[in-house]
This record gives sequence, structure tokens and C-alpha cells, in this order.
Amino acid sequence: MSEGQKENMKHLDEMTLLLYIERQLDRARGLEVSAHTQECDACRTLLRALERESRLLTRAMLEEDEPLPSRLAQFQERARKSMQWIWGMVFGLAATGVYALYTGYIQPWQQQLENAGFGGSNLLGLLIFQGTMWKGWQSMMTLLEVLAMVTLAGLGAMFFRRRIRRGSALALVFAGFCTVLAMPQGASATEFRHNKQVTIAKDEVIHSDLYAAGGKIRVDGTIEGDLVVAGGEVEISGHVLGDVLSSSGALRLTGKVDGNIRGYAGNVSLKGTVGRNVTLFGGEVNFDRDGKIGGSLTSFCGEESIDGHLGRDLLAFVGQINITGNIGGAARIKGGELHIDSSAEIGGPVNFEGDNKPEVSPQAKLASPVHYEKLKHGVDYSNWHYYLWQVIWAAAYILFGLVLFALMPSFSAEAVKSAERYGAAAGLGVLVGFGVPIAALIACCTVVGLFIGLATLALWDAALHFGLVIVGALVGQWLMGRTSELWPLVGRMVVGVVIVRLFTIIPHVGWLFKYGAAFWGMGAISLVVYRRFQPVIAPGTPSVPYSPPMPPNTTVGGPLPA
Amino acid sequence: METPRPGRMNAPGIKEPTEAIARARTGDAEAWGELYREHAPAIFRFCRRALPTREDAEDATMEIFMKLKDKLVQYDATRSFSAWLYKVSANHCWDMLRRRKIRQDKETGDLENVPLEHPDPSQLDQLIEQRTSEEVRKALDKLGGRARMALVMRYYSDMSYDEIADALGVRRAFVGVVLLRARHELRQALEGNEALAAGGAS
Repeated sequence: MSEGQKENMKHLDEMTLLLYIERQLDRARGLEVSAHTQECDACRTLLRALERESRLLTRAMLEEDEPLPSRLAQFQERARKSMQWIWGMVFGLAATGVYALYTGYIQPWQQQLENAGFGGSNLLGLLIFQGTMWKGWQSMMTLLEVLAMVTLAGLGAMFFRRRIRRGSALALVFAGFCTVLAMPQGASATEFRHNKQVTIAKDEVIHSDLYAAGGKIRVDGTIEGDLVVAGGEVEISGHVLGDVLSSSGALRLTGKVDGNIRGYAGNVSLKGTVGRNVTLFGGEVNFDRDGKIGGSLTSFCGEESIDGHLGRDLLAFVGQINITGNIGGAARIKGGELHIDSSAEIGGPVNFEGDNKPEVSPQAKLASPVHYEKLKHGVDYSNWHYYLWQVIWAAAYILFGLVLFALMPSFSAEAVKSAERYGAAAGLGVLVGFGVPIAALIACCTVVGLFIGLATLALWDAALHFGLVIVGALVGQWLMGRTSELWPLVGRMVVGVVIVRLFTIIPHVGWLFKYGAAFWGMGAISLVVYRRFQPVIAPGTPSVPYSPPMPPNTTVGGPLPA
Repeated sequence: METPRPGRMNAPGIKEPTEAIARARTGDAEAWGELYREHAPAIFRFCRRALPTREDAEDATMEIFMKLKDKLVQYDATRSFSAWLYKVSANHCWDMLRRRKIRQDKETGDLENVPLEHPDPSQLDQLIEQRTSEEVRKALDKLGGRARMALVMRYYSDMSYDEIADALGVRRAFVGVVLLRARHELRQALEGNEALAAGGAS
């Protein structure tokens, strides 16, 4: 009896035995339990029963007694289908918006430009790329077009064939890119000159294109190709058989250019002859009495005087313009003031949209009286067209965001996250927003930097728009909750962009929202870009991934406590 | 001294689909479907064991997978996916039960006291010996929310004591107590099974 009692005292309690089989005891206690159960029948039986109970529980719960309900089996399928439907609609709407944008906005503009003497197809191509700068632009344009097509095709494949994954779509894009790169390009001879002062002497003939940069550039000789110049002061008194692309403080033409002139300059004076069209961005443009332009003149400048002979149309966005010369075609002028002198002769209709009524001399020879329209400042909120355009713009932004989010999902998600760091993003946004264009313009002033400068400006512009999309996504997250997955994020972006656009059309303060959002988003993008380019620091920390301690009940090869 | 677990290594019959996870994270619908098809049956069974009705289990499974779409980025790829999945599921089911205040009806008793009644080893052995899996499942249905949840987490999805403590919101030291009390509850249900089956649920 007493012996039995003693033995009973020593019996292990159920808790200890359970913890033992669950391997929750420390090694010393485990060894004790192990030794005891070898001696004591009762405890060994209890231990075995507990183990059996564990097994029974596991078996009972694991046994397949119910198949997956059909509602659950269909769940994924249904969810995916409904998503596809929604995205199809969003994509369709966005595409419609862009189409409307194109037919309603871009095409009329092109039409207008064509009327003004530009017989081309692409606005950008006409302004910058066509022929003037580099023959390779032509193939570059083809490349861009092919790239755009391949991108669209890749996106289409991504959207409509779920079997093709994004990786494959990107691979397609790159394959297209490489194919285009591999296509043979026509080589062209080019001559470069770079000096403090570049002079092409009177009897000098350059049989190719000439790229020249310097403080003072004089062309007295003949250039058989195109002339691309950047400098403080540019004077062309010789003969250029091709086009002239110029970026300079002052541009003076006394000689002859058979092709086009495109340029921007503080001060432009045209005394010579231009065979084709002239496009100018400048402070002051003087088209002299002796000057002659075969094609049209398009100008964006502060002050302009037209005394020479213009073969075709005039398109001008100016502060003040005086016309005393001869214009063969129509004149379309938007600006502050228009004076038409008695000696002026205009062959086509004259349209003037400006702040002040035009001053037209009764002696001027005009094909028809000047059609004047007071320049409207601000927005006409009563016009439904305005709202239609707002919808179209929102759709365009959504499409833009959709493409960017689909192409760079992790970058976009990171940018949205960065935008949450309000101070840093906004500060950096303002810095980049103002700093980059200045840097780009400086880069443009050098011939080599021209492409980089233009590309940077284009990127900057794209980043501004993308910034708005990023802020839209963030606003969407505020409203609909945080997400880090792509498509829910895109959904939030769509909602947010609509809201941000609504804010931007508020009278008087809307522009504040617009630029605030754009700079803020741009800051967020810059933060991500900065982080991406930052070298990975902390070499001291081991790169071995964290491995969790083994759970106490793992089956494979764990040490037994006993 | 190892408890053999039929048909599983770490957690019920699941291989680690790391590639599918990586793709699902980027929003690949195909990969997502793959993950769903692979894991939905196991998660449904988990919910079926942890929750009182079949409808609850269906709802919970759907909700868990919808939640998962957002949560997938939080998953640490160096750890077991199925273990993580069970953790998410356990949290969800326990939240669901707690919201319905189910845990209050049976578990008002003090959690931190070790049950004092000591079973007779041979009687217990006999009881376990005689019961079939189906009887155990029926008995499980009669347990309180916390007891059942704890048993499911431990013996179905093989979660660690830490994970169980985390999911149930108890201190780790008391996970053993919760499990032991759950076993006692189960034994009571098993003993009274025939009577209860005849007389309906208590």
C-alpha cells in the first residue's frame, strides 16, 4: 500500500506527458520522462494512449470525407471571368477616349498645320525630326513606330491570352526591338566642327551634312547637305542646299537655304532666301524686306515683323506682329496685337484671335477683311465640349496609367508607396520638376546634348503625367484600402485619377491641384528611380535568408529529447 | 517517440509551389488559379474542421483566398507556403468565430489552470482504441470553438505552439493547456457519443 502510494506519487501528470510527445520539454526534463516511462507501466500506457489519440485526431481530420463544393470549384473561374469583363470595358472606354482625342484634337491640328504649308503626317516629325538633323531619324521613326506596334501587340497578347505571360509579352517587345535594330540603316556622311569660332569660308564646299557648334558660327561657303548648328551667334551668308536646324542666341540669314529652317533663337533676322518652310521659336523675329520664303512661316515668338515675301501661309503665335510685306497664302494669327500696314499684301483669308482689335490700314491689299475673334482667357464652363474633353482626358490618363502599370508593375507599386512619404516626394518633385527642364535646356545647347536634352524633356513630360497617375492610385488607395497587388491597384488608380481630374477642373484653384499632384507624383517616381540606382549597402549583414527555427514537431530528422 | 503523420511531411500533402507564388504575386491570373486549385481543397477541409457548418467553411475558404490576393506580398518565400497559408486561414477562422462570440459559450473557464482530473491510462487507451475516425469527427463538431480550433491547428495543419499561441491570442506557455483541455472535452464527447447521437446535440 505504502509502496503503491509512493509509486503513485512519482507518476507523471498528463500535461507533462503531452508536452513530452509534443516535444515541448527541454532536454533534461525529456530524459527524465523517457527514463520514467521505461520503468513505469501506467505512465507508459498513458503515453501510448496520448500518442494514439494524436494519431487518431490527425487521421480523423485528414480523411477525405467531403469533396470540394462545386461553388468553391467554380469560384476562381467566376472571379476571373468577371474581372476580364470589367477590364475589357475599361480598356474599351479608354481606347474610345484616345480615339476621340485623336480625331477631335490631333487631326484638326494636323489639318491646320497642313494648311499652313506643312505637307507631312507627323507633327513631331515635322518640327524636329524630318530630314533636318540626322538622316537616321527616318529609320528611328520607323523603329519607334514598329516598337509602338509591337508593344501594343504584346499588351494585347497579355490582356487577351492568359496563356501568354507578361514575360513572354516583354520578350516579344524585345524581339521586335532587336529585329528593328538589326535592320540595315542607310549611312550618311557627316562632318563635325566644334570650336570657339567656326567659319566656313566663302570658297569652301562641304559635300555632306555639317554639324557645327561654337560661340560664333559663320557660314559663307556652301553646304551640300543639312546644317545643324548650335551657338551664340549664327550667321549664314553662304548657301545651304539642305535644311538648317539651329539653336542659338541670334540667327541671321543673308544667304540662301534651299530646304527648311527650323530653329529657336533669341533674335532671328531673315534677309536671305529660304526655299521651303520656316519654323521658329524665338523672342524676336524680323523677316526683312529683302527676305524671301518659298513655303510657309510658322512662328512662336514675342515680337514679329513681316516685311519680306512669304510664298504661302503664315501661322503665328505672337505677342505683337506687324505685317508690311507680302503673304501669298492665308494668315492665321493668335496673340496680343496685329498691325497690318498700307504696303501689306495678303493673298488668303486673315484670321486673328487676340486681345485687341487689329489695326488694319485701309490701303493694305487683302483678299478678304480680317476676321477677328476676341481671345478667350480661361475656361468656358458653360460649354459642354469642355466637359467632354475632361472625360476624354481622364480616359487618356487612365489608358496611360494602365499601360505603365501593366508594363512596370513593381515600379508603379513602389512609386505609389513612395508617394505616401508626402514631404520627401513633394520636395523632390519640386526640385526635379524645375531642375530637369533647366538641365535639359542646357544640354540642348550643345550639339551632342541635343538628343539627350530632348529625350530628357520628353521623359520629364511623361513623368509629370505619370505622376498624376501615381497620385491617382494613392487617392484610390485612401478610399478603397491599401493593396499591393497589380490589378486592384490599377482599379484604385482608375478611381483616383477620375477624382484627381475632378479636382483639377475646379475653377481658379484647379491648376494648383494639377501641378501639385504632378510634382508630388514626379517626386515619388524620382524617389524610386533614386533607390533603384543606389548601390546596395550594408555589406556586413549576411545575405543568407532567415531560416526559422524548426517547429518542435517536425518529422524530418529532428533530435529527440530523449 | 515521434508521432507519425500519415500522408504529410510538414503540412497536409502540399508541395511548395514557389514559382507559382512568384508569378501570382505579380498578378498572373494563371498562377493564381494554379495556387487556388492546389490549396483550396486543403483550406476548405481546414475550415470545415474548424468552423461549425459547411456553409461557414465555404464562405471562409472564399474569403481567405480573396484576402490572400492582397496578403501574398507579405509571404516570406524562405518559409513554408502551406504553413503560412494555414496561419492566415487559422487567423481568419478564429476571427470569424470570435466575431460570433462562439468562444464565450463554452470557454468561460479559467484557461491557465491545468486540468486536474487524471485519466485512468488503461481506460483512455481503450476509449481511443474503440473509436473510429468518423466518431472523432462527430465529437469534434461538439467541441467549443477554441478547443476545436486548437486541435485542428495542431493535428490537422501541424502548426507550431508559437503559431497556435499567435492565432488564438494566448501565451505560448498555455498552448499545451488549451490542447489538453481540448482533448478532455473531446474524450467527454466521445464517451457520450452514442447517447448524444440518440438524444441530439447538447
